[in-house]
Amino acid sequence: MMDLIKRLGLNKNEVGNTSHITVNTDICKTCVDKPCTKVCPAGTYEEDKENGITVHYERCLECGAALYACPFGALGFKYPEKGVSYIYG
Amino acid sequence: MDYDVDVAVIGGGLAGISAAITAANKGLSVIVLERGEHSGSKNVSGGRMYVHSLKKLLGPKFKDAPLELPIKKETFEIYTGEKKISFSFENKETENSYSILRSKFDAWFASEAENLGIPISYSTLVSGIDREDGGLVLRSDRGDIRTPLVIESDGAAAFASRYLGLVKEKKFPMQPVEKIEDNPDFMPKQFMVGIKEIIDKKTQGDYGEARTILGLSDGIKGGGFSYTNKETTSIGLTLKLDSLEKHKEKAFNIIEDFREKLGIDGKLLEYSAHLIPFYRFDSLPPRYADNLMVTGDAAGFLINDGFTIRGMDNAIESGRIAGEAAKKIFDSGNFSDTFIYEQMLEDSFILKDMKAASRISTLFGNERTFDAYPKMMAGIMERMFSVTDNPRDNIKDVIRGEVKKNGIGYYTLIEDMLKVI
Repeated sequence: MMDLIKRLGLNKNEVGNTSHITVNTDICKTCVDKPCTKVCPAGTYEEDKENGITVHYERCLECGAALYACPFGALGFKYPEKGVSYIYG
Repeated sequence: MDYDVDVAVIGGGLAGISAAITAANKGLSVIVLERGEHSGSKNVSGGRMYVHSLKKLLGPKFKDAPLELPIKKETFEIYTGEKKISFSFENKETENSYSILRSKFDAWFASEAENLGIPISYSTLVSGIDREDGGLVLRSDRGDIRTPLVIESDGAAAFASRYLGLVKEKKFPMQPVEKIEDNPDFMPKQFMVGIKEIIDKKTQGDYGEARTILGLSDGIKGGGFSYTNKETTSIGLTLKLDSLEKHKEKAFNIIEDFREKLGIDGKLLEYSAHLIPFYRFDSLPPRYADNLMVTGDAAGFLINDGFTIRGMDNAIESGRIAGEAAKKIFDSGNFSDTFIYEQMLEDSFILKDMKAASRISTLFGNERTFDAYPKMMAGIMERMFSVTDNPRDNIKDVIRGEVKKNGIGYYTLIEDMLKVI
């Protein structure tokens, strides 16, 4: 098994200074199942005891899965200005 | 309103470029807005294109397309526990589908459009759309674009449709957590996430192989694939979001487990992911609105009939149709009459094939397909291939026994079989 962070490191990703993803932590704190953490192929969403969810936006592959998986509309997602560029695709 | 351009295409992928080429060939002025640094840089496909639509669009130029290998061998593999059933079909003559790597292909496809004089604005993100004086204003990080007609080719998440309010933004209040599934705005059933890995492994032969792999997705509804390219191998999983989000394991671990079980060795070169539309035929998103035509994944044009899963040919064909419809709409001068596009779609293979496949698609929404049926088939094989001191059962009794053992009702079985044929 190859570590996720190493896998993500294979890709070219121009990360912006600010996050293109926002979460409403008031909602995340009450969410039990944390579906975003299951569906995200990049581990962008991590369970956090204090805030419910921590967002590692620099890992994001821009697939949008979490946007449709969050049952509470707690997720604000915009495409980043630059972001990931695939060589193979 | 003074317009900057006749048609603005959002998204420079297969559908968008196809639309732009068609509209430009019909004499319209076109601009393509692409958020990637080049076309294809944000695109991911499982990796096989059925090429009929591309041939129709490009004619003799098709031969220059940077495709990978013609797929001449199809293999289906069904895993259940330690058992595996597989069958293959080889046809040395066919060249109706090719493995494909989208970063390279789309960049070439876009250059074909640029050779026709179509401007493509790269690294351009459309962040909003407003209606103004009977036209549309696209807001982007490179300024506003005023146009009477937009062709939306921005992929499964369909942001343009969201900006225009055609696909509802989720604005529901916080719900009690135990009622997740009761929320009507909750849409994970309509999407799959595709997770893909490129492996540095070259195929032996001079043609490509496609493998469809069921039963290695850790019990999640979905399937696996592997395609051989010229220099590399593409593998991946398509996982239904509704099934994945309730699962104990995380998506990024399931894909690695899949790779290990496939036993393809070689260095990992790329790790990618993309959203895949998986709408029921009767709940597809809107395909047209005033001043707007929706193409490709944004319109949910994915066809899964059990043997083939295809979106790329639909994307190219829907783009071509939208380009032709754009010309007709211009000639009529009525930019709210985009229903022409819908009529043309209804006459095309896209909606016809989608409708035909819709019955079998329901099979991929139920648990039997991924659990009871593979177990039943493996059970039948196991008993037919085993010899013991006991007298052999005849095949009819074996089948009957395995159907019963796996809790499948005869009526359900017949109903499911009818969906396939």
